[in-house]
Amino acid sequence: MSDRKTLDFFLNGVPAVAYAGETVIQAARRAGVDIPHFCWHPQLSVPGNCRICMVEVEQDDGEPWFDIGCNMPVTAGMRVLTESDTVRKLRRDTMQFITLNHPVDCGICNKSGECTLQDYHYEHNGRKSLSLDTKNHATKFYPLTDRILLDNERCIMCTRCVRFTHEVSQSKALAAVQRGDQALIRPAEGADFGADAYSDNVIDICPVGALLARKDLANARVWYTEATPSVCPGCARGCTVELWHRKADWKLTALDPALNQRLERVTPRDTPEVNGPWVCNKARDLAGIFERPRVTQATVAGHPVPVAEAVAIAAERLAGARAAVVLVSSWGSNEELAAFRAAFGGRLGATVRAWVKADHQPLPGEVVEDALLIVADKNPNRRGALAHVPAWDGTMPADADVVVVWGEGVPASALPAGPFVIRLGAYADPVNAADHAAADLVLPVSIQTERDGHYTNVDGVVSGFRGYRAPPPGVLHAEALFGAWAPVLAAPAAAGAGA
Amino acid sequence: MTDPGVLPAQVGTGRKFFMNHPVTADSHTLAAYRARGGYQALAKVLGTGISPTDVTKEVSASGLLGHGGAAFPAGRKWGVVKLTDGEPHYVCMNADEGEPGTFKDRWLLEQVPHMCLEGLILASYALMGRHAFIYIRGEFDLPWRRMRDAIEEAYAAGLLGERILGSDFSLDVVLYRGAGSYVCGEASAMLASLEGKKGWPRNRPPRLTVKGLYQKPTVVNNVETLANIPVIVGEGAEAFRTVGTAKSPGTQMISISGHIARPGVYEVEYGYSWEKFLYEDCGGIQGGRALKCVIPGGVSTKVLDPTQLAGRTLDHASALAAGSQLGSGGMIAVAEGTCMVRLARVIQRFYHHESCGQCTPCREGMGWMERILDRIVRGEGRPEDIDRLYHISAANDGTTICSLGDSAGYACSAILDHYRHEFEHYITHGRSMHDGALTVEDPFAESLARWHAAHPGALAPSLAAGAHA
Amino acid sequence: MSALAHLLPEFEGWKARYPAGFEGSLTIPCLQRIQEVHGWVSDAHIDALVDYLGVPRTQVDEVLGFYTMLRREPIGRHHLQVCHNVSCTLRGAEGLLAHLCLRLGVAPGETTPDGRFTLSTVECLASCGTAPMLMVNAAYHENLTPASVDALLEALP
Repeated sequence: MSDRKTLDFFLNGVPAVAYAGETVIQAARRAGVDIPHFCWHPQLSVPGNCRICMVEVEQDDGEPWFDIGCNMPVTAGMRVLTESDTVRKLRRDTMQFITLNHPVDCGICNKSGECTLQDYHYEHNGRKSLSLDTKNHATKFYPLTDRILLDNERCIMCTRCVRFTHEVSQSKALAAVQRGDQALIRPAEGADFGADAYSDNVIDICPVGALLARKDLANARVWYTEATPSVCPGCARGCTVELWHRKADWKLTALDPALNQRLERVTPRDTPEVNGPWVCNKARDLAGIFERPRVTQATVAGHPVPVAEAVAIAAERLAGARAAVVLVSSWGSNEELAAFRAAFGGRLGATVRAWVKADHQPLPGEVVEDALLIVADKNPNRRGALAHVPAWDGTMPADADVVVVWGEGVPASALPAGPFVIRLGAYADPVNAADHAAADLVLPVSIQTERDGHYTNVDGVVSGFRGYRAPPPGVLHAEALFGAWAPVLAAPAAAGAGA
Repeated sequence: MTDPGVLPAQVGTGRKFFMNHPVTADSHTLAAYRARGGYQALAKVLGTGISPTDVTKEVSASGLLGHGGAAFPAGRKWGVVKLTDGEPHYVCMNADEGEPGTFKDRWLLEQVPHMCLEGLILASYALMGRHAFIYIRGEFDLPWRRMRDAIEEAYAAGLLGERILGSDFSLDVVLYRGAGSYVCGEASAMLASLEGKKGWPRNRPPRLTVKGLYQKPTVVNNVETLANIPVIVGEGAEAFRTVGTAKSPGTQMISISGHIARPGVYEVEYGYSWEKFLYEDCGGIQGGRALKCVIPGGVSTKVLDPTQLAGRTLDHASALAAGSQLGSGGMIAVAEGTCMVRLARVIQRFYHHESCGQCTPCREGMGWMERILDRIVRGEGRPEDIDRLYHISAANDGTTICSLGDSAGYACSAILDHYRHEFEHYITHGRSMHDGALTVEDPFAESLARWHAAHPGALAPSLAAGAHA
Repeated sequence: MSALAHLLPEFEGWKARYPAGFEGSLTIPCLQRIQEVHGWVSDAHIDALVDYLGVPRTQVDEVLGFYTMLRREPIGRHHLQVCHNVSCTLRGAEGLLAHLCLRLGVAPGETTPDGRFTLSTVECLASCGTAPMLMVNAAYHENLTPASVDALLEALP
């Protein structure tokens, strides 16, 4: 960036700097002035159709001129006004036009509370409609895909969604058909927008409530929810996301208290070096991963035991093992992996051999890999884990006497019958439950939404996530578990080995 | 069908470039055009090695103004194209004549297709084009057939294709038919349509002369503009400038319609008396009525009343001084006794129907204006409607991607300026002060009366809301 | 077998005069030709055209919805299009339309029960000096009077 040519100009009378080729809206944004915009999106082409970003350019001689800031290249010495009386009037007029046929049904709209149209109405218009005539009607709740509904009455025809499918996701599935005030967004008759693995991004980029996630419909008002920064564990891209959940001060008391903990929705968190402003639909469905039934009871030989007892037994077994194997989770955070490394220390490569395994494989029907974001490795932190131990080749040494399986992906059937099997498990969905039942010792561990941590993605970029809920009672953080094992494992190996 | 050979009465309206020969059953053919000296300008350029830049210089020196409506100097448009950029350059003839009241390009395409084509070939030479396009509106059947035949004749005669007239210059011409959209007459929408897409105009920058058809530098010129090129190249810029006025050199094809006694296409030397043209050459208003107003250059230009026309001449500067524009030369005369409220409603129905739906002020404003006017015409107008129409017009002025929204605003607000009292009357009394009259001599008056008898209290079917089908 | 097999040789011929890479430009001419031959554009035609030209389906959908002359369903044998723009209105287009509505017993946008006529209104067709006018299929009929319209309709099969 630094070697790019720059231009000096004036923004509302204040000297500002633009990179050569930048438009007024871009340069103003970097200068901290957000010119209102509906159709403009930093990652999409510039159609200049909403007209709300009109700015005034003062002229040395004669009348000022007005044009849209999104399509106006900054020139040296240009004097741009974004808040002049005329500009404000133009915005008010544009807002009148945009809301002319908009139903203003904010009371029942999912976008309400995070709607650009709503915000701009308060900021830039604030008047009731000047129209005396009935509004045009259009299709309500058009089923765009089995995930997305389209409300053509709320749509303001900014065409962000159309451009997204043509320029980013490449499905070319959406079109702006018909003309005049009958123009509307429609899926191409032959194209399957449902097959677009990135389709839900159009819900985020829609500046109004025209595109709606079916699963979020009438679920939770956005002002009752808050976002916690996180990382999608769906693949090794590690897209940065926001996990939306109910605010602590807006607890539901009459309904199921579990609703207070629920993951309401997932949206992308814009990180240029990882995912930009996009995520694939897998990230939207993280509730399907995180909200599986949980393991909350430590067991030994299938019998419930207090968790501290199970921790101690496991430590003893490991300390005494001659040829222990640890299959390390590629879903563990960098912090957990460091704690693991610290705990096993000098035993690694001696009495303990540790390898990184894949916890998850591509699901049936899932996009395995593409040119945009999705990578074939369906685990978020394999690269972070490989910094500590090598990759598992899938075989088990014949002399293994204790096997620790940290996380998922290694069924009981893949393990030999002889060794003492310790599982660090989080989920009790049917597959995992069966594996846990076959294990000699099970330790319930926490999941990503219950702790802070970092993952290192496929490109080596480290992204952090925060926990927003406490782990269920009886569940350990793996980091603490390794910490508890550390003193036991630090004792000379021979002491236990001789027993 | 009208006999295309019929020419309206051409009286002493000055020097003529196009209407200077008798129209016969075959005067549109290559042989007839050649007999009149056709393609000699092209032969001169290719035969004597006049450079492309020199052709552009000649056109610039001629002062030729574009005839599509905006009157932009043609030479300046050509001059900005960088010939040495290594890119293909395209020239496109805008034959999408759709501005209501305008039918002069239709005459040129039907009667002098070769002259239009020679202009296109010369323009392509000047701009070093290898391919040129003629975008002709889809409804034009005879003009399309005439141009199609002219192109085939030209190919056969070595005037198109490889090595034209034995020179190093080669050119292919694509004749492309529109499919029903007024906005495609706007140059960037036309290029989108030529790319096989819907006709949405696009923002400038970049200019079309920098990034036009398929992102390559493209010049779009009106039919009449291009038809002038053989005259300029053949006779020289200096001779061309002796015709017309200093600021508007040459002639203007004026198509006149409405309540005029002798409607049709006239070629008028710029600077000709406006009143003489209306009252003498065109025979005045139907039935000897007084003139109420003139829409001077297509419905997108502001109406002018007789007092504004007094002493004015037919050229751009004079039309501007009168308070309007000569636009596309599509003049519509309106007689005294006409209901301007209903006329405004008819005009606005058009703009609403043709709004492309892309940018906000026009997409929403056109329908809003039509709904207001429709309500007034139905007798349900409200006092605040007049201010609202002005407001919507103003809010479309300079705020849209193309000029469709601006134009609708000009048309409506100019009618309001002149005839506000008619709107106030209609709103106050729920009826037209001119009894809704739109015609002077109506051949279908009896049919309309029968229809009204059968539908008491209803508006004529053409004025029914949303009467587009 | 492509629904356009019989038209492809013609389409191929058109390509010759376009610069290379202009295949997308043929979208509109091809749709026009399809409609000319079949009367309207069907799903099968669209699928075949998308395959042939390699343009996105959205482009074809947008074109079909945008241009008033292209149709996605069949209409009557004769398409009667009455211009009701300014110049025609000043010369009797309202009455012409009323005349046709009365004579055919249909409103604008409708087709006669015998499938013979579809009546439409259109905007300016550049026939202002010869108003009122009517377009019957591709042909202009100008300076109309009740007698000439009646004679015209009777002469149509």
